[in-house]
Amino acid sequence: MSTETTGLGTPEDLTDAERGAVEAELRPLADGEFVLAERYTEWQVRAPTLESDLAISNIAQDELGHARLWYDLLEDFGYTEAALIWEANPEDFQHPTLVELPLGEGDWADAIVRGYLYDTYENLHLRALEGTSYPWIADRVGKVLAEEDYHTQHARNWLSRLCEDDPGRERVRKALDRLFPYALTLFAETEHEAAIVDMGIRTESLADMREEWLGVVVPHLDSLGLSVPVSEDGEVLVDLPDQVGTDGSHTEHWPELFEEFTHTYRELELGEPPRLLEDPDEV
Amino acid sequence: MDIGTVTERASPRQFGPKDDLPEEYRKAATRMIQFHANSEIMGAYLERPFIRQAPSLDRKLAFSAKVQDEIGHGQLLYRAAENLGVKTRGQMLDELANGEGKFLNCFHYPMTEWWETPMIGFFVDGAAMRRQATLKKTSWEPYAHAMDKICFEEGFHIKHGESILRELATGSRKEQELVQDAFEEWWPRILQFFGPTDDQSTHHDFASAVGLKTMGNDELRQAFLNAYLPKARKYGLEIPEYPRINEGEDGRYEVVEDDLDWDEFWQIAKNDYGPGRQQIDSRKAAREAVAWVRESMETPGSGPGSDTGDTPQAAD
Repeated sequence: MSTETTGLGTPEDLTDAERGAVEAELRPLADGEFVLAERYTEWQVRAPTLESDLAISNIAQDELGHARLWYDLLEDFGYTEAALIWEANPEDFQHPTLVELPLGEGDWADAIVRGYLYDTYENLHLRALEGTSYPWIADRVGKVLAEEDYHTQHARNWLSRLCEDDPGRERVRKALDRLFPYALTLFAETEHEAAIVDMGIRTESLADMREEWLGVVVPHLDSLGLSVPVSEDGEVLVDLPDQVGTDGSHTEHWPELFEEFTHTYRELELGEPPRLLEDPDEV
Repeated sequence: MDIGTVTERASPRQFGPKDDLPEEYRKAATRMIQFHANSEIMGAYLERPFIRQAPSLDRKLAFSAKVQDEIGHGQLLYRAAENLGVKTRGQMLDELANGEGKFLNCFHYPMTEWWETPMIGFFVDGAAMRRQATLKKTSWEPYAHAMDKICFEEGFHIKHGESILRELATGSRKEQELVQDAFEEWWPRILQFFGPTDDQSTHHDFASAVGLKTMGNDELRQAFLNAYLPKARKYGLEIPEYPRINEGEDGRYEVVEDDLDWDEFWQIAKNDYGPGRQQIDSRKAAREAVAWVRESMETPGSGPGSDTGDTPQAAD
């Protein structure tokens, strides 16, 4: 398979292999944003202050908006929102399991650490999509990136703030210990990985992104007095969790969350999720 | 300024933080705005589960945005109240958590299903809009100013609530039945939104005299019924037989007050109604669970993060 530099065609022009690779790139991205947002919204009306409540709500809505952009590209291939989300099976979802983990009551450190680990990854991922060969993705990366900068800033500021005293840092440490292995699922490859890179859908491999991510996250956390299970020469000392998400395997928390957010849709036997906007690019 | 002067000068947006206002005025205004701010928070608390339960991406986004707006309104209103110099925001939030802070009757009732949401999102918000529009002319300028933004955003909320109502009312037979059931359950509470008639209202006279309130409960309820009874009918909702509402020849509606449960209303007004108490207490527990964050923010400077220089302003 040769590297396609002239770009892939319109959704209808893609070969089966190309379409498979584009879908494999988009699905974990869309689901990741959607499920992360779902967890963030749990903080609404429960955040530490009114100001932090407003900020986390903003971020949740940004992520939902991004999910909508990516789902919309999957809809170009004939899928419906109903099929992708509301009438899907829990195991159809391919988000990395980091984002589905439950939030402990009052565990604001979890929200911040999760956000930091995810946003740092997302930033790298989006940059690897700026030069994508699939023009429909390229069109949307800029908008998403602009918002992600704020998220990263938000997470870093809060991390510093929480690490300013011992009890706060201890909370962050606990959250980090729990979440770090799951953050590695952000880089779990699927069977389509080689095709995605070969076709130029993403300009960097997940393996390379993981190295870069470690290069950012490890020293930064270290500067805050936090340690991560990574050796001096950069070797990760913890195993990937059994459930990585991108292959459809999920933790026991996922079916429960899925059940909750599809409750109304099922109860009302809707058949079609209510649309308020025709085109998500309008927002 | 004494009360006499305040009464004399009372007019829209007349008084601000620079005025030397008598304690009675400042206390009355604080009570009113604190109640309003508390209601924003408790309304948001009641509606937050429906961000999760919303049946589409668009609805989820809209619900999340709405709940966020309510928190923003709370923030604005606490600021407008704080300016009166009677209570700090922290005090008011503590009072709300402790069950001393009062808030709207409708937010004391449990709401568990999606098809109930237009009862708040359309009818209660619609009723609130009636009252809030008149508060743009309240005599405490910071309150009136907050109301400009709040009314603007509230307009979108009501449209969203109406859109959910329309969807249910024009949906399957099951949806229509569910929304009718919800309406019957919520309708008497909605009628009580405006509180007791003016002659029963404890704080009405003074608040009117000093221009804090510009329209009485009776008149507001009348205006609400004029607008919302036809809207309810338009969506095929059947108005329950009780509480009886008699339509006079002049087009005015008269609610038979005895058909409403005023004992329950006063119990709610004291924060003694069981389900409302549960809302208060579960919110209190959620607030206490993050007390450690607020404490941590108050005692900075003991760790390696303190010299990084990126003071977390954006985190707000």
